[in-house]
Amino acid sequence: MTELRNAVTAAIADGRMGDRLWLYATYHCNLACSYCLTESSPQIRDRRALDRRAMVDAAHQARELGLTCVGITGGETFMVPWLPEALAEIGGILPTVALTNATVFTERMLDRLAPLAGADVALQVSLDSDQPRRNDAFRGPESFAKVLDAIPNLLGRGIQVRIATTVEDQTDDELARLCVLHRSLGISDEDHVVRSVVRRGRAATRGMGVELGPSDVLPELTVTADGAFVHPFAPTVRDGRTDLDLLVSRQTRPLEHAMSRFLRIVADLPGGADVVRNIR
Amino acid sequence: MDQAPPLARAWYGAGGSASALTRSFANAPDMMETLMPFLGQIMDESSIDLATKELVIMRVSRLNGCRYCLAAHRPVALDAGVPGEQLAAVCDEADLETLPARERAIVAWVDQVTREAGAITDAQLAATLDHIRDDQLVELTVLAGTITMLNHYCTAFDIPPPGSER
Repeated sequence: MTELRNAVTAAIADGRMGDRLWLYATYHCNLACSYCLTESSPQIRDRRALDRRAMVDAAHQARELGLTCVGITGGETFMVPWLPEALAEIGGILPTVALTNATVFTERMLDRLAPLAGADVALQVSLDSDQPRRNDAFRGPESFAKVLDAIPNLLGRGIQVRIATTVEDQTDDELARLCVLHRSLGISDEDHVVRSVVRRGRAATRGMGVELGPSDVLPELTVTADGAFVHPFAPTVRDGRTDLDLLVSRQTRPLEHAMSRFLRIVADLPGGADVVRNIR
Repeated sequence: MDQAPPLARAWYGAGGSASALTRSFANAPDMMETLMPFLGQIMDESSIDLATKELVIMRVSRLNGCRYCLAAHRPVALDAGVPGEQLAAVCDEADLETLPARERAIVAWVDQVTREAGAITDAQLAATLDHIRDDQLVELTVLAGTITMLNHYCTAFDIPPPGSER
């Protein structure tokens, strides 16, 4: 374990891999975004969720291996019924960010998130435009209104919130207005992530987004119910089939197994890889 | 190749080509890391010449009715020096009695291993060891079992034989 941990630490220092473990909580989603990497939707046939124990164990093992933070994504992460409690637990192991569309935050759900107040857990909310119609064209009806309702409720409960904007054809003016909006909500520029649609999954089917080059994404070990992948843009789904071109390993327990293979892959990459396309 | 996991690509050709069987295995790259070197050790020339191994592969594949393995290994067997008449015999296109004594003994052994291993007798074991060493018999028996596994795999997943892919 010490040898593997040293190798992980060196690879992070060399810029050959990121320091975050990503967990795909589920492929299920209450929305069906036009550019979704995983073809997630309410109608998805196989939700392929990680179980809670697997996620918590992976966070513990990630810390032992020298990773310093956790990202949780999907699918809509909050479609997993036990996510609020798991977030509190995982956030106690490593700093955690959970990606969410923020459209499922009922009062009851917000109450369950109360333990996250002051915790090292951030919710990264998707918001693609300052215009409701534009945002909802990408993300689904009423999502803009629900997000703008959820953010003050989360911040008011002491929960860290970040905003992520996925760019396809938004204009510079539109993005500038979006920044005015997030600042007005109390979200700083440092907590606003802007990244391109990536041409994989549903985005590829619809001819959206940019092709990923080999050095566009910093490799970050990403665990899903299908196995471990090279980065969080990797476990994509097209026409109902999971892409295997960036599959690291089918075996994810113990995490050492996947990590040792992940290191063999990133060893071939140049050090100091630039992070052009960043999911977070 | 576009869909090959990074660690499976070592078993793809320079141009990104791979057999249908290799591409199927690539779904499970962790298993492949162990399986492919194992298959290499079992199927490549060792203390047993390649022609003998290919004769066994063809015979077991014939017994198990594996379309993929029969099609894939026929040219390999010929390249390895298996005479056409021996190939015909193990594929039931000619009488097994036409095989030389050594090959006849080996085929009798793998036939029994494949059809009903529990019925092997001490006399048959001794008769086989009249023609090959005990370590070679170990290798050939593992080869026969491995080929049965591959035959069942290819048949279960209906892996398309070489040349038949659309």
